[in-house]
Amino acid sequence: MNNKYIFGGIIIVVFMAIMGYLFTETNISYEENFSEIKNSTKTMKATGSWVKEKNFLIDKQKKQFSFYMKDYLGNEMKVVYDGTIPNNFESATSVVVTGKYQNGTFHAKEILTKCPSKYEEQFDSASNS
Amino acid sequence: MLGNLAITIGFITGLFTIIMYYFTYKGYQNTLVKARIGYHVTALMAIIASILLFHAVLTHQYQYNYVFNYSGSGLSTGLLLSTFWGGQEGSFLLWVLFTAIVGIILLEYTSKRGDLEPRVMMIFTLSLTFLLFLVTPLLKSPFNYIWMDPSFIETKFLNSQYLSLPFMNNFFFEDAAAGKSFVKIDSQLNALLAANGISIKDFIIEGKGLNPLLQNFWMQIHPPFLFVGFSMAAVPFAFAIAALIKNDYRDWVKQAFPWMLSGTMVLGLAIMLGGYWAYGILGWGGYWGWDPVENSSLIPWLVGVASIHTLVIQKKTQSKGGPGRFVKTNLILAMLTYIFVLYSTFLTRSGILGEASVHSFAEPGRLVYLLLVLFIGSFILLGAVAFVSRWKYLNDDFDAEENILSRELALFTGAVAVLASAIIVLAGTSAPIFGQAVEIRFYDELNLPIAIIIGFLNGFSLLLKWKSNEKEYIWKKLVTPVSISLILTLVMVVWGSVYDIMLILLSFSAIFSIVVNFEIAYRIARKKASHLGAYVAHIGIALFLLGVVATGGFSAQDSIDLEKGKSVNIFGYDLTFLGYNPIENGQKYSFNVKVEKNGSSSTVSPVMYVSPINNSLMREPDIWNMFTRDFYVTPISYSDGNSQSNSHNHGQNVTLNKGESIDYKGNKITFDSFNFPPDAMSAMMGGQAFSIGANLTVDGYGKTYKIEPKMESDGEGRSFVSAQVTDIDLLVEMTNLDASGSINLILGSLSGDDEEIVQEPKEILSIEASIKPFINLVWSGVILMVIGFIISAVRRTKET
Repeated sequence: MNNKYIFGGIIIVVFMAIMGYLFTETNISYEENFSEIKNSTKTMKATGSWVKEKNFLIDKQKKQFSFYMKDYLGNEMKVVYDGTIPNNFESATSVVVTGKYQNGTFHAKEILTKCPSKYEEQFDSASNS
Repeated sequence: MLGNLAITIGFITGLFTIIMYYFTYKGYQNTLVKARIGYHVTALMAIIASILLFHAVLTHQYQYNYVFNYSGSGLSTGLLLSTFWGGQEGSFLLWVLFTAIVGIILLEYTSKRGDLEPRVMMIFTLSLTFLLFLVTPLLKSPFNYIWMDPSFIETKFLNSQYLSLPFMNNFFFEDAAAGKSFVKIDSQLNALLAANGISIKDFIIEGKGLNPLLQNFWMQIHPPFLFVGFSMAAVPFAFAIAALIKNDYRDWVKQAFPWMLSGTMVLGLAIMLGGYWAYGILGWGGYWGWDPVENSSLIPWLVGVASIHTLVIQKKTQSKGGPGRFVKTNLILAMLTYIFVLYSTFLTRSGILGEASVHSFAEPGRLVYLLLVLFIGSFILLGAVAFVSRWKYLNDDFDAEENILSRELALFTGAVAVLASAIIVLAGTSAPIFGQAVEIRFYDELNLPIAIIIGFLNGFSLLLKWKSNEKEYIWKKLVTPVSISLILTLVMVVWGSVYDIMLILLSFSAIFSIVVNFEIAYRIARKKASHLGAYVAHIGIALFLLGVVATGGFSAQDSIDLEKGKSVNIFGYDLTFLGYNPIENGQKYSFNVKVEKNGSSSTVSPVMYVSPINNSLMREPDIWNMFTRDFYVTPISYSDGNSQSNSHNHGQNVTLNKGESIDYKGNKITFDSFNFPPDAMSAMMGGQAFSIGANLTVDGYGKTYKIEPKMESDGEGRSFVSAQVTDIDLLVEMTNLDASGSINLILGSLSGDDEEIVQEPKEILSIEASIKPFINLVWSGVILMVIGFIISAVRRTKET
């Protein structure tokens, strides 16, 4: 009986330890302030919006997709993604990119576009006028 | 109005039913009839409310806030129906509806089985009533009128003949920047309209429409299946609590078992329907992305699967009398299945996953957030209190001494492995609550070894007899299947060039599981076909795992440009862009690409269109489905070449992407950026005049020049303004400007002594092509799993 619990306990501890290790290793934190991202070498999830005025670029030779993002403070940064434009990128209201900031650009491994669930300008723009 | 009434009545009769069942349980006479009537009235109200919402959707009653926000007049009947659950309120009502219907069947089922009904139905009705509470008029009712909260509605949704009425003036709001005007609709306007004999229903004549991503067949079936699965998960929970109330742990196992099987089957099917939707229509490129929303419904499914295995053990060990083994485990797992369903709802509906998921849900507001917490909290508390109050009794050890080599232990180990997977997914999915996230490889790396263990146990447990086994007996039994599997794995490794050790192990364990299960299934197929369920389901999961190895380890993808009529080779396939044609009355365009290999060919037609609802480009992939692989094509962009000037020009024709430079006669010309004036976007939308420039830097003869050729539009046609650098005799004419970041230039000299060239318009389709090997294994595995579940559920229903 005792052996059973010791054995089970060891398995649980080992499992939790491995999971905990991988969790911290693969853990990514969110960052909304781009100046923080530019000062860090860690992989992060940057949340912000696409700077539509600066357009985006699909580089077919390098197979890269790049665009500019800005955070809520208006800080801008260039994002380069190895891959093509994500589906529905043009309609995204906000963008979450996962990656690292290196040599003046943010190298994204993953792009998540958030589309508005209600496709309508928020009415505060109307109520302000 | 009637809808809100039905929901309110349903909520009240639900409370009444719980109380009446409680009295019945306490031994009162006459209350059982009242409880049954109460339940049926509650269920009837849920059905009536659902019919009313369907009716409101089908007849375009935009005076309801919900219908206005999620439905529209241009939708087909099937899609109109799916707007029922297109938003939060409606999907809660759908859950209410299915729970009510499941409860009617459950009431019938339990009423025939002794004193079961009051206890089970009391708990089940509690969960139905909780759900009804969420859609009551005070919270998230889909029947709330649009004017109840003031809302600004664009005039295009309104009946124009009423807009000129004098009293309307006070309600107009202009958004000059966007060039739109809005009408503020509130109770005051509603009263004014009514006073003038205008019904609000005639005033709002169009809805905002359904999210274009949801406008397809899968939207019509994925959510209903999911909610049937969610509803059925409440049944084992009710059975477990009922067992704890009575302090009798023998019969509930048998009675809850078919419910657990069928509920898990439906939930599993729903999850994979979602996976197929993501793969085939939404163009996510895969069937599973470990997205938190997908994960959140996977957790209860995994717990349900684990509990099925421990329930089997308890049932089997009951044969000699007593409640059997794993009494506590089964109670906890049955309760956890539903608690994780509620947790899943909490994660997806509370807005917590807002930043973390591709799915987007409207922010529900603070109140609903707290209610969802209350909902889960009270069900956890209910389970915990019931469990702890019986702890003393439960802790009397039912366990018999066990043999390491028994099927019980193998099944239990399998259940533990599945639970470990559930814990992994839970940990990763819950991270956003703490403002964290994990990379995808967290799930991959941890689940891979577990999948190997599961595959192996899948086969091994069936070679074991119940209770105990001799070691020699096991070795003898193992020899044949292990050797067959080793040979098959070796063939696969060599033929498919599989070199990753983990993938080889996973393949081996999956093949081993198929061999063992197939052997047994083959033997019993004639004699005991009703017993086939488990083996069919296990072959299904093993095939699925093989599919995961193939698609996960050996997919290839690349993006290419296809010029119309010219064939391009990729992954050994010849692709030719044939042209495009409008579909669905010109609302969408399908781009036809001929794909050929070794004489066989198929034409795939991915679709692109600009959705009027969100004014953005939508892309739908298309697939050439072959037996051993899928050829998957996602459209990226299309350029028709016609916007390029066809006139004769002098000089060299070049295309520059942003940031690129080119050498021309010793001058370096760099395309820095677009000069995109802030007002150009709205001018473009509004059809007004605007201009966009291209900032170029020219380095020539030690000097740097900045020039800016422009594209100008008068709102209809567009023209180009060239730029020049007289110092170095350079003329730069722009012939096309692609918003995706490239420009076409003709570089020449001012004196015009260059050769004359003629530009041909080129139609170019850019696509992303990928090969998904053996993805059919994934789908057929899931289908087999579902069939296996159905066979088992039928058999276990007959047993009760």
